[in-house]
Amino acid sequence: MRSACIIAGLPAVSWSGARPGRSAPDARLHGHDSPAELAGTFRSSHKAHRIAALRQTLTKLETAAAAPGAKSLCLSLGIPEVHRHLPGPGLACGVLNEVAAGSHGSRPAAFSFVFALAALALRARPASKLGPAVLVASRRALAEFGRPYGHGLTQLGLDVGRLLLIETKTDKDALWALEETLRSQARPALVVGALAGDLDLTMSRRLNLAAAPHSTPLVLLRAPRAAGTSAAAARWRIDAAPAGRDRFGAFAHWRWTVALDRCRNGRPGQWLIEWDHVAHRFRLAEGVADRAPAASAGLRLAG
Amino acid sequence: MRIVARNRAAQQGGLAAGELLSNARSKVRDLQTCEADPAADAAALRRLALWAVRYTPIVAAWGETGSETGGADGLFLDITGCAHLFGGEDALLADLERRLRAFSLFPRLAVADTAGASWAMARHGGKNRAIVPSGGERDALENLPLAALRLGEETQLLMRRLGFRRIGEVIDQPRAPFAARFAPEFLLRLDQALGRAPEPLNPVAPPPVYRAQAHFVEPIMAQEHVLEAATRLLHALAEDLAHAAAGVRVVQLLMFRVDGGVVSLDLGLAAPSRDAQHIARLIALRLDRLGSELDAEFGFEAAAIHVLVAEPLPDRQARLGMGEEDAPCDGLAQLVDRLDQRLGRGAVCQLHPYQSHVPERAVRATSPSPVTPEACLRHDVGEGRGGGDRRASAVGIPPTPNPSPHRVEDAPSARWGGGWAVPSAPRPLLLLPQPEAADVLALIPDGPPRQFRWRGVLYQVTGAQGPERITPEWWRRTNEAPRDYYVVEDMEGRRFWLYRAGLYGRGDATPPQWFVHGVFG
Repeated sequence: MRSACIIAGLPAVSWSGARPGRSAPDARLHGHDSPAELAGTFRSSHKAHRIAALRQTLTKLETAAAAPGAKSLCLSLGIPEVHRHLPGPGLACGVLNEVAAGSHGSRPAAFSFVFALAALALRARPASKLGPAVLVASRRALAEFGRPYGHGLTQLGLDVGRLLLIETKTDKDALWALEETLRSQARPALVVGALAGDLDLTMSRRLNLAAAPHSTPLVLLRAPRAAGTSAAAARWRIDAAPAGRDRFGAFAHWRWTVALDRCRNGRPGQWLIEWDHVAHRFRLAEGVADRAPAASAGLRLAG
Repeated sequence: MRIVARNRAAQQGGLAAGELLSNARSKVRDLQTCEADPAADAAALRRLALWAVRYTPIVAAWGETGSETGGADGLFLDITGCAHLFGGEDALLADLERRLRAFSLFPRLAVADTAGASWAMARHGGKNRAIVPSGGERDALENLPLAALRLGEETQLLMRRLGFRRIGEVIDQPRAPFAARFAPEFLLRLDQALGRAPEPLNPVAPPPVYRAQAHFVEPIMAQEHVLEAATRLLHALAEDLAHAAAGVRVVQLLMFRVDGGVVSLDLGLAAPSRDAQHIARLIALRLDRLGSELDAEFGFEAAAIHVLVAEPLPDRQARLGMGEEDAPCDGLAQLVDRLDQRLGRGAVCQLHPYQSHVPERAVRATSPSPVTPEACLRHDVGEGRGGGDRRASAVGIPPTPNPSPHRVEDAPSARWGGGWAVPSAPRPLLLLPQPEAADVLALIPDGPPRQFRWRGVLYQVTGAQGPERITPEWWRRTNEAPRDYYVVEDMEGRRFWLYRAGLYGRGDATPPQWFVHGVFG
């Protein structure tokens, strides 16, 4: 597919010179050929240089799009156990990361996990270096559980003054706004998209490409049980988990069951992660707290 | 406190300027007063001066510096060579008076060869719209009091003590004694009134107008052609703007149809800009959004761009190093502009705290406030949450104190980034647009819920925290009941924010009801 893009981008003059009998649309039809096969169709020797140049371009494009390579930036999650499953020390920047709720009821949990990520991203670097965190949501995505609430976000440790909300009428507008934000010079600390419907492969590729130039961390909240394939580098699945209690029995730490379902250059895993409301960071809940509520919940579910 | 200015009714009541307010109150019952605002007076006079440019290019506001009124009480119009355009001096004065009366202003007008003489005639002459014939200042001024010479209080007092009452009495006196005894002001004003000394006026400078227009040989219809025309006009304007170190905040694109119709597009920018490419992009996005609503009919034969609001935008030096990049605020403002144009105003918003303890009123969403370059330069000091407060104070807005739950003030607090304080009680991450009714089962009437049914799903509560009582705002006179909020968690770890509206044991007809108001993560 990618080679087809390059061929179509060639100036028309060189095509007419190389294949006098063929018109440009024909050439595009043959775009699926590998570069090696195409090389055979060129007659003059100086075309070989062009092929070499094309190959170089291709390599450049691939390194830019696929592997963060030289500019591999990561948004650290602060949990070494999770980092071991990921290609870098944290959430990869410049690529699409999907977050989906495990079930319909845990969509708020997925939202809160993403907001915690935004809080981390905003705290990672000061305002002079990075722009705000941007949440792009279509109206339908926010219709069910309501809009983000400033005081709740403040409690999570998120600097609400540096949060920009973009609410669009349709998913299509939301995708446009996402791309526009990623390609802009605003250099957001984190871009979050929330869609009501599903996302197709083409669109996920576009987002991947849009996030690459500035290595912007990009998280997309997908509908639960999203089946469609996508070009996301990582897919996270979030489920609600009973909160950690303090010694008075009050809710002290929000918890999520975080599953890494798919990860490019990484391996899947599942953790119980909690949010430290004082230090504003993630930490692993296992071993620190009692597991009684989780166990009982499992039992009752089974029964 | 003294009286600075009075209206017609006060004049008829016998009040005088400079009188003590307490005396005036004893003279007139039901006296209505308001504080003098010299700056606003001066601004209003300047606006009137700009309007008066329709009569002559040289209009100066008369401001007596140091006087108690701030002196904003008159205009000089240099009508040399302009009067005949209005049919003579008489007609000009009549026209001026008619128009000013339409503004509910009651002017005193006079024409004379010198500014000083016209000032004297307008304020102390017997009749309104007096016209002093050329060279007749001396005769006209002879019978006027000395106050008509625009003299300071002290000079006037001294003259009165010496027994001079009228201008005519001093005109022919030998000058040397006056020069020795009085401030130079006296002879200068006298000479200026009689035309013996020049009086420079300080004309108002109208604000620059940025506009550009183009006429086309053939009518244009296609969207890209309109865009191209607009881009060229913007490039033309950008030079003028760069020269004046100004940037565009509101710009209007006018397109004139062949059949005489005019299509106008107004664009507002989040931050001043003179980047033609950026503004052209905004126009393109707006045209995209309008789509077929934009009716070109037989095409546009001319286009014009008017800058409605311009703001100072100093040049900034580009960074020297390759690695250094500009601060992100420029890109952010441009991004907000583009999103606004395509998605419509209000799609991009920011949350601001509002001082109310009722949860749904405690947050306001507003369009992002403009980021000034100064704020941008300074807001690298803060990191994390503390940075917000410091940034707010850098642009002159004091950080707001904690919005404690029972604060009575009802004022919207600071802008960009400021004012958020960690609430003392748990608040949800997502707040439902409307509280939704839920069927709740509780062990005791006043207790926390044990199970509840919301949106047709039954939730078993494993833990609850609360109650937090939030009463309605007493100053708003609503019939709302006090609410008791609980944070509850169900077996799967989903957390909800529920409240019970109303109290038990009051003998009300309807028992308290339960609502779900928000969800936590």
